[in-house]
Amino acid sequence: MTIVTIERSQLSDQVVLLVSGRMDAEAAPEFEDQCKACIAEGRTVLVVDLGELKYVSSMGLRSFISVAKTLQAKGGALRLCRLGGLVKQVFEITGLLVLFQVYESVDAALAGG
Amino acid sequence: MPGATRSLTIAANTGSLHAATEFARTGALEASLPEARIGELDLLIEEIFMNVCWHAYPDGRQGVVALTYSVPAPGELRVEVADQGAAFNPLTAAPPDLTLNLEGRPIGGLGIFLVKTLAPSLTYRRDRDWNRLTFGITASS
Repeated sequence: MTIVTIERSQLSDQVVLLVSGRMDAEAAPEFEDQCKACIAEGRTVLVVDLGELKYVSSMGLRSFISVAKTLQAKGGALRLCRLGGLVKQVFEITGLLVLFQVYESVDAALAGG
Repeated sequence: MPGATRSLTIAANTGSLHAATEFARTGALEASLPEARIGELDLLIEEIFMNVCWHAYPDGRQGVVALTYSVPAPGELRVEVADQGAAFNPLTAAPPDLTLNLEGRPIGGLGIFLVKTLAPSLTYRRDRDWNRLTFGITASS
């Protein structure tokens, strides 16, 4: 059963990952693998569009924290955008909304700052 | 059907996660919980269930998780998650330090904190060799 899909695109020479569906204990490793593949290519900034993500558990959060730490250690950053509903609530409860670079739109995330 | 009680006993491993959440969802439907509450219910079930999978049976033995739900009244669902693993009261677990910066933040330790935040009615009891964790979720909570 596919519960998460990750679409990779390139905008303004930056990688954008559109994550759709549900990121639970079974799906989180797939997201982390995709991010690691981008990092292995030399990417130090990843924009992750969560506008279509409906659910995230602590296993999903582990992946986000792990990827963000790796990128930060390389002088880069994980930029998240378009969080909503339960996903935003979970990030807020766990203090990650203020810890991560979070943007309202993909364009804002691409611009950074 | 107010008062109905249903149970499901499954293996304590990641492969059973979706069976656990689907089972709880049948309770949510019986209780007529709205979609927003069902998302929270999924989260509560996953966090509690996966915590059992990882920590309850450390000696490698194949353990089980027993899920039970009841609908005491329309719009109310009560769920119990029980295991026969090592005694563990999540209510006494230390909360994570949310003030740490990214560098200092551990990657884990957020699951139980999420459960305690989203299910304020959470109760724990050790019943002979069972851990029994119970929470309620209502249409308006």
